[in-house]
Amino acid sequence: MSQRYFEDIAPDEELEPREQLPTEDKAIEFFGRDNPTNPAFGDAEAGRRMGFGGALVPGLLKLSWITNYVGSWAGSEANLRSVRVAFRRPDIAGKALVLAGRVVDKRQEDGCNIVELEVVTLADDQPSVRGNVQVEIPSRP
Amino acid sequence: MADVTESKITEEHRAMIGRKSDPIEVVPRTADAHRMRDLLNDTDPRWADETGIAPPYILAMLEPRLPAELSPQVLSSGILTQTEWKFAQPIKLEEPLQAVTQLIDVRDRLGGRYGYSVLVMFQTSYMNSDGEEAAASLRTITQFDRPQS
Repeated sequence: MSQRYFEDIAPDEELEPREQLPTEDKAIEFFGRDNPTNPAFGDAEAGRRMGFGGALVPGLLKLSWITNYVGSWAGSEANLRSVRVAFRRPDIAGKALVLAGRVVDKRQEDGCNIVELEVVTLADDQPSVRGNVQVEIPSRP
Repeated sequence: MADVTESKITEEHRAMIGRKSDPIEVVPRTADAHRMRDLLNDTDPRWADETGIAPPYILAMLEPRLPAELSPQVLSSGILTQTEWKFAQPIKLEEPLQAVTQLIDVRDRLGGRYGYSVLVMFQTSYMNSDGEEAAASLRTITQFDRPQS
């Protein structure tokens, strides 16, 4: 994991896209197989009954991927302040998702270096989740 | 689908804004953190095994169900359409947190792709043993009426 420094970040900088394959198995494992409140998003038959064509990918799994995606980009000396997402379309297990992001702002606020990013998950090149992430990034030593 | 031009939010619904749940104890478990880290291939040293710190996405395991007594039922169905996580402090593994959920707004959404809908917003604060907010989540449920088939 490499470290980003505030001085080296430019607005409009793009993050390297990352592909994830949300399988039914991952959806169940994410919340724990022995978890009695597991929302069972891995149930393909239930998804088909609801007209989605397969098992739905839990929004919180996608939110966690986004959190991890930006965290990996920023480096372990950065601090995640917030992540806000809008779930635009359902995603179906077994279809690859691409995470992509870019820097939309950098500023100093109360002595902290703040970087804001827009992040999306893309399924068949269409955004299914749109997010905004705010992260505090250190200055170069 | 008939266009709705007047709000279906009543004074009773609005009176629920600001109500809070009783605190619920939630515990960020080491086993959950471990499993989620592995699933996400997360190698960040800040929440490696020996640190006692949970990765931020542990909130996915902690989110309490939305209490029925705080949830105005304006329309018949609802789905989660937005979530925000805010972090004020690192979340410590195995340290109990008190989760308090509050209804913060109920709003009409006239028009749009799905016609009339209602946005219901909740905030959950996670307080540590010192009474400080470690993290918070905001959830927006979009309520709608299923079209009759």
